[in-house]
Amino acid sequence: TMAFRHENTRRIEGLDSNVWVEFTKVAADPSIVNLGQGLPDISPPSYVKEELAKAAAVDRLNQYTRGFGHPSLVKALSQVYERVCGRRIDPLTDILVTVGAYGSLFSTIQALIQEGDEVIIIEPFYDCYEPMVKMAGAKPVFIPLRYKNDGNSASSADWVLDPAELAKKFNSKTKAIILNTPHNPIGKVFTREELQVIADLCIKHDTLCISDEVYEWLVYKGNKHIKIATLPGMWERTITIGSAGKTYSVTGWKLGWSIGPQNLIKHLQVVHQNTLYTCPTPLQEALAQAFWIDYERMDDPDCYFYSLSRELESKRDRMAQLLQEAGLKPVIPDGGYFMIVDVSTLNVDLSDVDEKQPYDYKFVKWMITSKKLSAIPLSAFCGPETKRQFEKYIRFCFIKKDGTLDAAEVILKNWNKQTA
Amino acid sequence: SHFLSLSLQAKMSRPVQARRLEGIDKNIWVEFVKLAATYSTVNLGQGFPDFPPPDFLKEAFVGALSGENQMLHQYTRAFGHPPLVKILAQFFGKLLGRDLDPMTDVMVTVGAYQALFCCFQAFVDEGDEVIIIEPFFDCYEPMVKMAGGTPVFVPLRPKAPKDGKLMSSADWQLDPAELASKFSERTKAIVLNSPNNPLGKVFSRGELELIADLCVKHDILCISDEVYEWLVYDGKEHIRIASLHGMWDRTVIIGSAGKTFSATGWKVGWTVGPNRLLRHLRTMHQNSVYHCATVAQEAVAQGFQRELERYGKPDSYFVQLPKELQQKRDWLVQSLDAVGMKPIVPEGTYFLVADISEFKSDVPDVPDSDEPYDSRFAKWMVKNKGLAAIPLSAFYCGPHKNNYNHFIRFCFAKEEATLKAANDILQKWKREKTSP
Repeated sequence: TMAFRHENTRRIEGLDSNVWVEFTKVAADPSIVNLGQGLPDISPPSYVKEELAKAAAVDRLNQYTRGFGHPSLVKALSQVYERVCGRRIDPLTDILVTVGAYGSLFSTIQALIQEGDEVIIIEPFYDCYEPMVKMAGAKPVFIPLRYKNDGNSASSADWVLDPAELAKKFNSKTKAIILNTPHNPIGKVFTREELQVIADLCIKHDTLCISDEVYEWLVYKGNKHIKIATLPGMWERTITIGSAGKTYSVTGWKLGWSIGPQNLIKHLQVVHQNTLYTCPTPLQEALAQAFWIDYERMDDPDCYFYSLSRELESKRDRMAQLLQEAGLKPVIPDGGYFMIVDVSTLNVDLSDVDEKQPYDYKFVKWMITSKKLSAIPLSAFCGPETKRQFEKYIRFCFIKKDGTLDAAEVILKNWNKQTA
Repeated sequence: SHFLSLSLQAKMSRPVQARRLEGIDKNIWVEFVKLAATYSTVNLGQGFPDFPPPDFLKEAFVGALSGENQMLHQYTRAFGHPPLVKILAQFFGKLLGRDLDPMTDVMVTVGAYQALFCCFQAFVDEGDEVIIIEPFFDCYEPMVKMAGGTPVFVPLRPKAPKDGKLMSSADWQLDPAELASKFSERTKAIVLNSPNNPLGKVFSRGELELIADLCVKHDILCISDEVYEWLVYDGKEHIRIASLHGMWDRTVIIGSAGKTFSATGWKVGWTVGPNRLLRHLRTMHQNSVYHCATVAQEAVAQGFQRELERYGKPDSYFVQLPKELQQKRDWLVQSLDAVGMKPIVPEGTYFLVADISEFKSDVPDVPDSDEPYDSRFAKWMVKNKGLAAIPLSAFYCGPHKNNYNHFIRFCFAKEEATLKAANDILQKWKREKTSP
């Protein structure tokens, strides 16, 4: 046989495994109630689908559009976000449309992060941040959210950063901090004061802020989503990332965007023109039209940005109740569509399971096989030092139709009746 | 604070962008697309059809987005929507004479563009050399550089056509000794594009064997961009280099729904190859875009299903489209030849390159100009004649841009009316030249 030396490059070494590859396959079995991957099984609003059908009927819209973003879409995005941010946003220079928020994270990190840089990541974190930072040759520096309350309330607001601990993570090599608010998986909505602590450090150390705000519209009563880019001194150093998938319940459209100052966005555009060049046209046109519809009613409670949030709040409350009735103490999220819960109180003994995986991985696998219910283990969202801290938590997704939550209810109600 | 630490001063004086962006920020399309949008009445520049995708494909798209299955608006399998990878495995398995596993030997990407990106990122490390045949689709060079690699260029060289005949893309050939000399210890890969954009060359079996022998001898990877695989004319055969001896294990084949089904705006592409190579593309894909949009994948899967059933038959889109395009090619060849722009008749793709030497009097040479002559010519032409085309120098590396600088590339995937309008412009232009 011929010698064959084609191995992978250094940049992807060790980045091949992934919690989703492991768990989405297992949960694809239709007999399993899937509350794992963040996948709505509710229908997107009908006008969104109608606009896509209309777009597909126009010949020109089935061919290439402008690489950095379809003109009508970047115009609509600039209008919506000008209103939210209270500042002028140039559709051509301050916005890049990407393949999902995932694509925005990739473009931002590839554009602005290199070998020798450090990037601060708040734990638990959406799992792609770490491998993307590593692929760029940089060093991830982790800081955990810590549970501060000893009392009975369990809210995402109880998970906080220690300002002194955070300050110590910044140094002259710190190129960026990645912020995710509302936060996946905990559902924390960072307050203005919390954002100010981060902003002060960014300004002091001349650090960039990569702000993943995909769940920006999904905030529940008593909470307000604040954009760190609107804090003084922050616009010029922040890339804010959004997602059509989360905004309109169309994760399968894979459209996202990065918004920021021209002198940063232009570098993301260079990455984009050298990676995939342009995003699909009909989807961008449909999304633009959907945004115009909701932009017109941004003062109206029927605007989808608010109506979805209300719908999800009642699902959140139902999910919390079901878990509580099963004897669990869920962390009630202030935003997003995930809920984490400490399962160690169930005392499920998995010590005889031979695998060297953290407890929560083993628990979820056991729960899938024996209870036909899936979730995602929280240690997937942690750096190596904190896995022990978070391995008693699992994450449930509640952007699910009533039928799915009904099925989950049956399983949780019967939980204690089926002890092995 | 009034005093910045030295380290902070140093940080603030460094460029904010990463080093990997060095030298890759310029892009010809940004400029030429804008010029065409502003000035052109007839746009034969950027490569996309001005006719729609076939009805069966549009129907599949609308059916998918409005059908009962709501989950088609949500994430599908990251490495490719199951119905699509299954039909691609079946279809390409048949073409290659192999059993392909849809889960491991096929991966769907956001257009062929993203497939190329994954290949370079997964296999080209700092210091690796990648051989690129000129003229080349312009993204290969910056992608190799972004991956830290060194592009090594080898030109197709035109041989004079037989007496009285128009030049053909087949007359542009590699010099075997010159090609062999480009391989070194550091060579990691070669990029092959057949049918070739911009020339339209369809590499012959002999030419592919030459390349394959060198790949095997030097144990290198072949990145085979075959997006125009169905667009071959005059009964020529598109031969897949992966089917040659010793090549399957070292080739990644890249394809495109945009070119296959005239739907460039859908951005659905794929890679086909052995698991041993594709697993690294999967790693790259899952850490960059992860999922591709679902609805278009569902529609393309249905399109391929229909084509599999009609394979080789007269009503197959893969038979009809090249037939229609060949006719369009011939019209454009006639139009250009009639006015003295010498076309190089393409064996494939929907591009045609023509020699504009006879029109040089309209655009005088500017000695020591930074800009290649053909680029100035193309800009003058779109502004003054309303006809958009792309200068051939766009498809050469910096130092070679003046080697073949009196050619421009036309795209002929256009409605008959568009090609007639182009003909009118050319005829009028010629008349203006000949009468004082």
